[in-house]
Amino acid sequence: MTVDAVRARAHPDLIPLWRGLVVYRVVALVAAVVNLVRGIDGWARPALGVAVLAAMAVWTASSSWRYLRTGDPAAAVADLVLTALAAASTLLVDTPARIAGGGAVITTVWSAGPVLALAIALGWRGGLTGALVTIGVLFGVRQAVDTDLLFDAQLLLVAGLAVGLAADTMRRSTERLRAAVAREAATAERERLARDIHDGVLQVLALVRRRGGELSREELAHLAGEQEVALRRLITSTPEARPDGTVDLSSRLAGALPARASLAVPAEPVLLSAADADELVAVLREAAANAATHAGADAGLWVLVEDDDAGVTVSVRDDGGGIPEGRLDEAAAEGHLGVASSMRGRVAALGGTISLHTAPGEGTEWEIRLPRGGA
Amino acid sequence: MVRVMVVDDHPIWREGVARDLAERGLEVVATAPDGAAAVRIAPAVRPDVVLMDLQLPELSGAEATARIRADLPGTRVLVLSASTEHGDVLGAVRAGASGYLVKSAGHEELVAAVERTAAGHAVFSPGLAGLVLGEYRRLETTGPDAPALTPRETEVLRLVAKGLTARAIAARLTLSHRTVENHVQNSLRKLQLTNRVELTRYAIEQGLDADD
Repeated sequence: MTVDAVRARAHPDLIPLWRGLVVYRVVALVAAVVNLVRGIDGWARPALGVAVLAAMAVWTASSSWRYLRTGDPAAAVADLVLTALAAASTLLVDTPARIAGGGAVITTVWSAGPVLALAIALGWRGGLTGALVTIGVLFGVRQAVDTDLLFDAQLLLVAGLAVGLAADTMRRSTERLRAAVAREAATAERERLARDIHDGVLQVLALVRRRGGELSREELAHLAGEQEVALRRLITSTPEARPDGTVDLSSRLAGALPARASLAVPAEPVLLSAADADELVAVLREAAANAATHAGADAGLWVLVEDDDAGVTVSVRDDGGGIPEGRLDEAAAEGHLGVASSMRGRVAALGGTISLHTAPGEGTEWEIRLPRGGA
Repeated sequence: MVRVMVVDDHPIWREGVARDLAERGLEVVATAPDGAAAVRIAPAVRPDVVLMDLQLPELSGAEATARIRADLPGTRVLVLSASTEHGDVLGAVRAGASGYLVKSAGHEELVAAVERTAAGHAVFSPGLAGLVLGEYRRLETTGPDAPALTPRETEVLRLVAKGLTARAIAARLTLSHRTVENHVQNSLRKLQLTNRVELTRYAIEQGLDADD
């Protein structure tokens, strides 16, 4: 993730805190209005007071929008400066006598807004800094250290630190969770690679070491070639699901078919739900195993995957002897449900159709069609 | 004698392939370790067939294919690559390569493919047929002007992708062997044509001389 991406959007886990701040700001604005209206007769410049309140309302709206969208620290700093100016305007709006007598600053509790914003955006250090600056401004207006000021100072410090620590914790736990998920994915991927390499390449290497002298050059070349294809497929296949839960059927097939099989796929990923893809891969494995049984383990096997708007078509062909006409019906009649009916059942359960093209000497060719948005 | 140039950045592999081809009676007129060198050397030796790797330093195999085909229309390019990057393979085919063979192919298969390429045939593996079918399906969604396969061409390509030989396809569709070859070649030619049309359009838009 780039810095720009972080800036462009508020940290998703901090959004509840930003929402809380926005609600607080609006309620505090109402409190400031009530405070102004109740004492309207006593203010030195009521019109200026109304103007300051209007500016605070505009800033509340625009800063809230930025906080919720970007969680931008720069907005929080601007908030601190503008809020300080608004609080300082008390010196012009109110009479010196009332200020000295402990009258509220014009911004009232609205002043705490930037303290909370800095705490959320920058953590406890931001909250502490915001609280100290705001306390300084309040002292500048009041010109005296009284119980009210000390009370406000305590609240600002506690709020800034507490919210800041909460934001830090939320951020940290999200990072930890993300790291843990990444670690788990990496471990799963390593296990998958280890399993496949163990089943294929390591077995072949062990065989070559043990019986290397006895193997003919052709046999060696054949073994090496098969493992080369298998390894290449292994490193290019990405069986992980995408965020929307779909997987690329082509990658899944690359990892699942025997190395001798030819796999023809489009360049673009063929996206299916993970469950559909798994089931389809299982059907094709069955077809491949069946071809190996009947056409021989060395017979050719070709798989073609096609994808269009209407659906996905997978064809699988072997170049064995083919199935004589009526053999499947015979088998069914004899009570062998067998491969054909098992494949048909699984494809039907997926909402697809399967057809068989075979003749003696022409090999066996299955075509499975899975409509998109089907069952 | 078929004159071949071998382009590959891996020296042992490059020399090994060159030796194999020479042993089987082909004339290796040059080798090149990267795409830029291939483009430079090709006009001097005028090979019949360039055996081109895809992932090359300096200039990619697809780029080099496009330039060599532009400089030397009589020279054909056969891609020989370990790359499983489908985009790279399609890129080379669109740039004018007349076939694609994976590096795991046997010697006999390689020599036969080079000879077929020199004779002007397309070397079409089932994998390449799958990619080309997919590419036309993708193009279909880009607009009404996109090139499309005829139903017959689609039928032929599908059978190639399912591993049938040209002879078997001809028998199954009751076509002549030659017609099957033509359908396969047309499917490639149309892709290469759109590539050229796109390049020309791009060049005009950029205010460049399209003949450069």
